[in-house]
Formats: sequence, C-alpha cells, structure tokens
Amino acid sequence: MAASEAEPMPEIATEVIVVIDLVESTLTSNLFGWYAVGRHSLRDLRSLVGEVGKSRGLRCVRSTGDGYLLTFHDPQSAEMAAIRAVEAVFDLLHRILVRNQQVSEERALNLRCAVHLGEVDVVADDREGPHISMAFRLEEISRASLPAALNPIPPEQFPLQNYVLCSEEVAGILSRRTKQWDLSSIGLLKLKGFPGWREVFRVLPEGQAAQVAMAE
Amino acid sequence: MQAEAPIRKPLALVICDIAGSTRLIAREGDLVATSVFREFFEYAGRLGRKHHSLMIKFMGDSFLAAFENIDDVMPFIISIERLLSQNSIFVGRLLGFYFSLHYGNVLYIETSYGSEVLGDAVNVAAYLNELKAPNEVVISRDAFERLHSDYRARAGASESRSFKGVGDVEFRRLDLLGL
Repeated sequence: MAASEAEPMPEIATEVIVVIDLVESTLTSNLFGWYAVGRHSLRDLRSLVGEVGKSRGLRCVRSTGDGYLLTFHDPQSAEMAAIRAVEAVFDLLHRILVRNQQVSEERALNLRCAVHLGEVDVVADDREGPHISMAFRLEEISRASLPAALNPIPPEQFPLQNYVLCSEEVAGILSRRTKQWDLSSIGLLKLKGFPGWREVFRVLPEGQAAQVAMAE
Repeated sequence: MQAEAPIRKPLALVICDIAGSTRLIAREGDLVATSVFREFFEYAGRLGRKHHSLMIKFMGDSFLAAFENIDDVMPFIISIERLLSQNSIFVGRLLGFYFSLHYGNVLYIETSYGSEVLGDAVNVAAYLNELKAPNEVVISRDAFERLHSDYRARAGASESRSFKGVGDVEFRRLDLLGL
C-alpha cells in the first residue's frame, strides 16, 4: 500500500493564495548577519502579516525561507476573500513603508507580492496543488521576464520592489467588485508548467494606473 | 543613437509554439532542451530573414514573427514545419509546431531588448494559438481573407470562439501536412 493511501484525503478549499517574498533577504542576511538582522526582519514581517490578516480571513501562514505563503478564506464568498487579501497586502505594504522610516537601512523590508485564487488541498499549516505553483510563478516575474511576454510593458517600468501582481482570476474579481484599485496589464506571459498565455496584472491604488500611463 | 519612433501599421502576426517542449525537458534535461531550442531559434531567425519578416521575437519555447506582406507568411510557416523532418537534432525530440496567424494593426517599436509589436492583434494571435493542434495553422478571418487562394481553398470550415477582452473571433484551420 502506498504511504499516501493510509492518510485521509485532504480537504479541498477555494482560497486566495498570496506569496510574499522579501527582496534581497539572503543578501542582507549574508551581509549583516542572520542573527543581527535577518531573523528580526522575518519576525517583523510575520508579525505584520498577522496584524493585517487576522480580521481578513488569513488562514495559513507558511514560511518559504525568503518570505511567506499565505492563504485567505471566506466560507461565504471566495470573491470577497480575494478583495480582503488584496486589502491585507496593501495594508502590509503601508505598514512596511512606515516601519522602514523608523529602522536602520539594513533592517528595511521590501516585498514582492503575488495574489492568485484557486482550489487548494488543505494540509496542516500548508497548502498543495497547482494553484500554489501558479502563485509562485507570478511572484517570480521580474523585469527580465518581460522581453519574453506578449504586449509587455517596458521592462524599466516594472517596479523592483513593493508591488502587487495578480492573476487574471483575481483581476476579474477586483474589476467586478471594487473600484478600490486600478489594474494594469503587464503583458501575456507563459508561466513554467502551465499551458497557454496568461495575462498578468499589476494592482495599484486607485488613480495610480493613470499616473503610470501618463509617465509613459 | 536615437530610437526610431513607434509606427502603427497593419502586420501579419505569426505565433509558433513548440509541441512537446515540457516532455523534452523531462526526458533529456534542460541542458539538451536549451540547445535544441537555441538551434531551432537560429533556424527560425534565418528563415524569418529569408522570408522578409519585419521582426521575430523568441519567448521560451515560442516565437512571434511579424510580416508586412502576408504572402511571405505561408512559405515561412511551411519552411519551419519542414525543420521537423529535415534536421536530425529535432527529429524525435520536437513533436510538432502549433501555429496561429492573425492580421491587424499594431504598434511597431524599438525597445531596450529589440523590436516589438504591441496591440490587441497580438493577443488575438496568442489566443488563437491556444486552439492549437500540431501541424496546422489557426488563421483568423482577417488573415484568411488576405491569404493566397491556394491556401484558402485548403482551409477547413469557419469556426468562432470568444476570447476575454477581445470578443468573438472567426477563424479557420489549415492542415500543413501535404503542403
């Protein structure tokens, strides 16, 4: 009997998956020391994630080494969970901005964030399934990804840190259900392991997409 | 040197996707796959120049090529298809190519990484490519109407599909086997 057959099948849930990656965390830890700087940064980030997520349906927090995999759940409405998750991410970015003004430069936190929604296997303190991989693929997108995209924005317009990307699924929900944020396509990309072209969006606070367009 | 100003112009857009690239990476490893793709892109680039493509852009296991004259497109596609049987490095490794063809207005620009075409027409070509079957070209009505009658006569029946952000797109399939 395969080992997996002895275990009960995990619960399946539709959750919003958020991947948060600390920009240059390994470099910072190597330069300034894990015990002096790195561990404090991750602990601060974990604490801030808890603060912004607790009233917004945060259900899972798992360390990825350089950041966190988070999931948000709303038993009544998966779409509302997406809105709350994006709210939480922007709240987190705001708190980090405030924090960065109060700490030394080497302890500053800068993030890359990606948001996706889909069915996941709920396992203890973790999540599994292709939608998790999709969220990580979104988080991995960088300036270097854009020459391989269709209809890309100019690479130099892609931010280096403190931004939020989302999948078509999340972009559809945000555009239908709220005017709180603007969505700006960064292009159609092929994501490793997933067939076809997928449009990826940057989520911006309301009015900022117009400013980006004006600057082009 | 100053970059050329963006130009809006009607172009024929071809997207080609390699069938079986994931299988190739799994079976032979990424080092072999990378060298196969590199070899393919070199051939495709050469064939693009031979058939007067305005630009060709390689993306992982795909490319986008743009042509000012749609009459250059089918000879280009057929020459790419023939690489499968004529080049030993591809035989048995690549399962085929998925092609899509659309004709529409795009913005042609020079960027920091080379020539680029932008516009909804590019999305149409990309979405048509997802209706793929190996060894055939999925051709939008806008492109089909401009193709040589020899190719039009060989194409399948008209089909239609709705794409997000684009709407309904009419297209036909053209089997490359026997061309």
